[in-house]
Amino acid sequence: MEEPRIGVFVCHCGRNIGAYVDVPGVVEYVKGLPNVVHAERNLYTCSEEGISAIKKGIQEHNLNRVIVASCTPRTHEPLFRSACEAVGLNKYLFEFVNIRDQCSWVHMHEPEKATEKAKDLIRMGVAKARLLEPLEEIEIKVTPSALVIGGGVVGMGAALNLAAQGFEVHVVEKEPELGGTLRSVYKLYPTNEEATKVTNPLIEKVKNDPKIKTYLSAKVKEVSGFIGNFDVVVNQDGEESKFNVGTIIVAIGADKLKPTGQYGYGEMPNVLTQLELEERMKKGEPVGQNVVMINCVGARVPERTYCSRICCMTAIKNASLIKESNPKAKVWILHRDLMTYGVDFENYYRKAMELGVRFIRYSLERPPQVIGDGKAEEIKAYHELRREEIELPCDMLVLTTPLIPAEDNQDISKMLKVSLDEFGFFLEAHLKLRPVEFAMDGIYICGSAKWPTDVTEGISQAYAAASKAAGPLRMGYVKPEAINALVNEDKCSGCGICELLCPFQAIELQPRDGKRVSHVNEAVCKGCGTCGAACPSGAIAMHYFTDEQILAQVEALFS
Amino acid sequence: MAKLKIALYWAASCGGCDIATLAIGEKILKLAEAADIVFWPIGLDFKYADVEKMPDKSIDACLFNGAIRTSENEHVAKLLRAKSKIMIAYGSCSYEGCIPGLSNFYNRQMTFEHVYIETPTTDNPGKIFPQTKVKVPEGELELPEFYDTVKTLAQTVDVDYFVPGCPPEEKTTWLALEALITGKLPPKGTVISHAVKAVCDECPRKKGEKKIKKFYRPYEIVPDPEICLLEQGLLCYGIATRGGCGALCPQANMPCTGCYGPVEGVIDQGAHFLSALSSIIDSNDPEEIQKIIDDIPDPAGTFYRYSLPDSLLRRARIK
Amino acid sequence: MDNFEPKIVAFCCNWCSYAGADLAGTSRMQYPPAIRIIRVMCSGRVSPFLVLKALSVGADGVLVLGCHPGDCHYIEGNYKTMRRIPLLKKVLKQFGIEEERVRLEWVSASEGAKFAEVANSFTQSIKNLGPSTLDNLKQSSKGAKHG
Repeated sequence: MEEPRIGVFVCHCGRNIGAYVDVPGVVEYVKGLPNVVHAERNLYTCSEEGISAIKKGIQEHNLNRVIVASCTPRTHEPLFRSACEAVGLNKYLFEFVNIRDQCSWVHMHEPEKATEKAKDLIRMGVAKARLLEPLEEIEIKVTPSALVIGGGVVGMGAALNLAAQGFEVHVVEKEPELGGTLRSVYKLYPTNEEATKVTNPLIEKVKNDPKIKTYLSAKVKEVSGFIGNFDVVVNQDGEESKFNVGTIIVAIGADKLKPTGQYGYGEMPNVLTQLELEERMKKGEPVGQNVVMINCVGARVPERTYCSRICCMTAIKNASLIKESNPKAKVWILHRDLMTYGVDFENYYRKAMELGVRFIRYSLERPPQVIGDGKAEEIKAYHELRREEIELPCDMLVLTTPLIPAEDNQDISKMLKVSLDEFGFFLEAHLKLRPVEFAMDGIYICGSAKWPTDVTEGISQAYAAASKAAGPLRMGYVKPEAINALVNEDKCSGCGICELLCPFQAIELQPRDGKRVSHVNEAVCKGCGTCGAACPSGAIAMHYFTDEQILAQVEALFS
Repeated sequence: MAKLKIALYWAASCGGCDIATLAIGEKILKLAEAADIVFWPIGLDFKYADVEKMPDKSIDACLFNGAIRTSENEHVAKLLRAKSKIMIAYGSCSYEGCIPGLSNFYNRQMTFEHVYIETPTTDNPGKIFPQTKVKVPEGELELPEFYDTVKTLAQTVDVDYFVPGCPPEEKTTWLALEALITGKLPPKGTVISHAVKAVCDECPRKKGEKKIKKFYRPYEIVPDPEICLLEQGLLCYGIATRGGCGALCPQANMPCTGCYGPVEGVIDQGAHFLSALSSIIDSNDPEEIQKIIDDIPDPAGTFYRYSLPDSLLRRARIK
Repeated sequence: MDNFEPKIVAFCCNWCSYAGADLAGTSRMQYPPAIRIIRVMCSGRVSPFLVLKALSVGADGVLVLGCHPGDCHYIEGNYKTMRRIPLLKKVLKQFGIEEERVRLEWVSASEGAKFAEVANSFTQSIKNLGPSTLDNLKQSSKGAKHG
């Protein structure tokens, strides 16, 4: 191995690191570390200037290892790796040191200790970088078709988009018909057009598109494989279909909360949810002269702290529709805050006030009370602005409830090996930089499965996910990370433990010299390292995370 | 060609290694043709003073068996290192610490109390422990100091080669002697054995899926003679132990206990066995896992039976 | 003892616990600077050998952090860790090392608060235990005989 020539680029990240860590001091310290031939600091290493500084550094100092000490590899590793590649340095000779998210930001009140820790972390990074070796990536062929789970408006939007780009799409819907949640919605805000005007044409298009195969009353039973080659088993009325796809989009939407036991729901006949109200309006059934709506029922409460985003607008829409069809009706919306963001929604809210919808603010501490014998007859509420109790006559009480994670989320997250957030919604790879992707390569997310969205947002996300999912399909191949396991056959005794442990069946014992030795299929290996950690012969090297590299990090911490 | 000068010594060991050197059978005649033995306390009458008089590096090779547990062991190790061109840690005790090294789970005080007081066959009402210096009418007697911690030979002096085994098999011993006789020496630091791979590589038993629901001790079951012992729940150390013995124990229906040390290049044999063994426990339920683990009565003693002084932790911390 | 600043090695898996640590940072949750994170792809990569090594060179405590059971990015790498750590702890006990010096925790990508809580409580428990007595045995990773 040639003598390591390491360059270290320490980022101020504006004030994010620079205000808490003595960056110039760290750079001076780093210059004295073994094999470090160049160290500098940048205001933002990820800026254009920072990137050219890395390239220039590699060329001027003949660097063969590069370290950036800044934020997290989870967002910025690709950027710095490609800077290395641009000037001919293998990207696996790059090492990331996190001195922001895991140092300056979490030790803001202890700048001296944060500085010491930054030095420790970089010293550990240098120790590892000295042992890095260049790695080559292999190409894997991609099946040019996709699976869309969910046949609601978002799933259909994604499927049509992919089909329009020429790819075969399999749509799996658990209900007997397409359309999803919108099937029970009456009209859509802010245009007040009927939901069927949006869904019906989409359903027709999906049905008539020769590129799209739809499975109704069906569930995805099994998914195995990896980006480019997912093997899918779909169960439709007990019958199984098997096919192979290159990428997968999750668009299964969300469930509706049934507020049983709250405000008389389930006990009093005139207490409904917004969706139930819409079904009634759709059929033209009367809704009464005095309508009271309560927002945030089961949302933004201790047991469910999130805001479901779409409910305020839904309540305002339904209130407006009541007023429009019967101007003499009285409609009150009891709310805690109002989410009517953006110009269109603000105008819509203003128009509702002009129509005569009355908005009354209540607080979580003093929720409204339902008075009545067998049905809701009167609503008592504490008016937060007027600071007094009020009593509202009530023919119908409508509860505005949040969307909640779909029941299937748990199963699907396990099947696809993708994460859920603390509430049980699907978790994207990165909120800002990878909003429609999962951390798992080749699987994408859109619509209310991720977070409650309305139609406009859902369709935008569907198109984003479809374009992301189309990328590998169009390329025809993917290059997975070269971080994988390698067996030293001269040390392997063929005990077979690694073969048993590999969760991806990437390891197989193969005959050699009349005996059997372990062999890793690098196209299938995902690089977890479980096999290497268990190998009793130390015969499996985990690229980029070798025993030697990790031991060097550990030793450097205490040197 | 002048005959080689060879020394043999035993430090903290059972004597098995000295016998193992004789187990080469009639090849001993070849050895006698090629070499003179200049020091061998168990076989011939030499005094330390004889060795002290020899010029430095005048011995061609020293086969040193036994761990370093007393000041005498250490003194002679250093003496023989100075006098020998090649120092060979012969057998598991000098290579890794072996059975004497297990006392690193205790300290000197605990060992003395056990040996000189607690053992059922000891009658020591005065609670007398060995002393390094004792005055008797004839003068002062001196005993070597008994160290708190057992060390390997390589932790004491520079070692050129290692011969594994408790004791080394005849063919392993001959491999080392033959290298000396022919002068075809491997690179310094080599562990001399016919194998670099683990015992599994030489074991004729049928291998299937290694999933363990319950660990057994050898007396608890009569294992199937054909099938991998580990798969039958016996703590067979063959997966993590250097071969070269020819998988003798498994072929006698007994699990390997690890005496040939770690596989080539592996540091800390016990940690590697621990990791492999726990990984194949057939349960994902923490309580069940704990229950299965509790069937191993002495995991540290089992995993480090031959290598405690040579392990990363070297010894237990006694409060 | 009040001045004792422990050094703790935390092995974090890339997908859950490392992301959780990042989230603790993004959320500006403060925790003691004793923690030094070493990133690995999966907690299944963390062999007892690495933990023993960290202890043997002077770590006062070692955290092994992975995805929650069932949430492993690699399906079941964390289950291997779940099997290894209890056996390792049993061995450590025999070595006279407090088993509390090694802790296995599951921290998801969305649990920044849990990461900070683990960092806080583990640091405190190591402070209560006092410094590890193992650093007097500092050794190189390569023994003389392994060349």
